[in-house]
Formats: sequence, structure tokens, C-alpha cells
Amino acid sequence: MSVDSVPANREFAKQLEITFPLLSDFKRTVVKAYGVFNEEQGFGNRATFLIDKEGIIRHIDEGNVAVDPTTVVEACNVLQHKKATP
Amino acid sequence: MMYTRIFTGLVLLAVLSVVGLAQQTPPVKTHLKVGDPAPDFTLRATDGKQYKLSDFKGKKNVVLAIYVLAFTGG
Repeated sequence: MSVDSVPANREFAKQLEITFPLLSDFKRTVVKAYGVFNEEQGFGNRATFLIDKEGIIRHIDEGNVAVDPTTVVEACNVLQHKKATP
Repeated sequence: MMYTRIFTGLVLLAVLSVVGLAQQTPPVKTHLKVGDPAPDFTLRATDGKQYKLSDFKGKKNVVLAIYVLAFTGG
């Protein structure tokens, strides 16, 4: 998800050959709700939120850390494991 | 003298690079914490469909990855 328009994200996805859909938060409502809106620059700062099936945040990566998906993948595995062994 | 200049130049370059990086991704201060309910949202995607976070409730875990801008790295 980014604050780019749908057409901009489409072009971005095309260039990178991304097959999954990208979300567009053009009105900046979601980045504001998640507290990652950069008012000075007008875009959402880099961040990754892992939300479980109950809608609860289970992991947050912010800033440059969020470039590397390793920690969130690990957190996903923990969630999956919890599901497997209740 | 020349070496001093080169050294000063290198130090300047290093400082500018650090400043540049810092500006690229300023510190994020989200008020949300692990354990908080994720704010619901409905957004349009590149496939033309609307996606609502609460539609995944009870079905799937969701990774919400926010990238700075299209056409930028990471």
C-alpha cells in the first residue's frame, strides 16, 4: 500500500512485474490512522504491520527495518504455528 | 594539503550521505502498539477492486506493507 494513485501504482506494478494487487491510499486516511503519515513530505513512511485473524496488530516494523521482510515473515510463522498448536 | 582536501571531501560526502538517508526515511512514530486493534479501512487496488481489512476477519492474517512511493526502492 502507498499513497500513490491507482494508475501510478499500476504502472509501478507493471515495471516490477508485480502480480498481486497494490492498494492505493490516495486520500492519506489509512497512513494517518496507522500513524505513519509524514506531513512534511505528504506520504506514508515505510512500515509493515502484521494483523492477525482477529484484527489485532501482532508485529510492527518501521522505517528502514521494514525494507527487510525477514522479521515480519518470522512473525507470520509464529502466528501460523500458534494456529497449528492451540 | 591535497590529501587533506580529499579527506575533507570524503568526510563531507559521508556526512551528506547519512543526512540523505535520514531524510529519505525519517523516523516513524506510530501511536499503534502490538496488541492494539488494527484500524479498519477500505481501499481500491490496482486490480480495480475494493479491499476492506475487516473482510479478512476470522479468515486470514494480513500483512499491511506501506511503501514510501511508487518508483522508489524497497
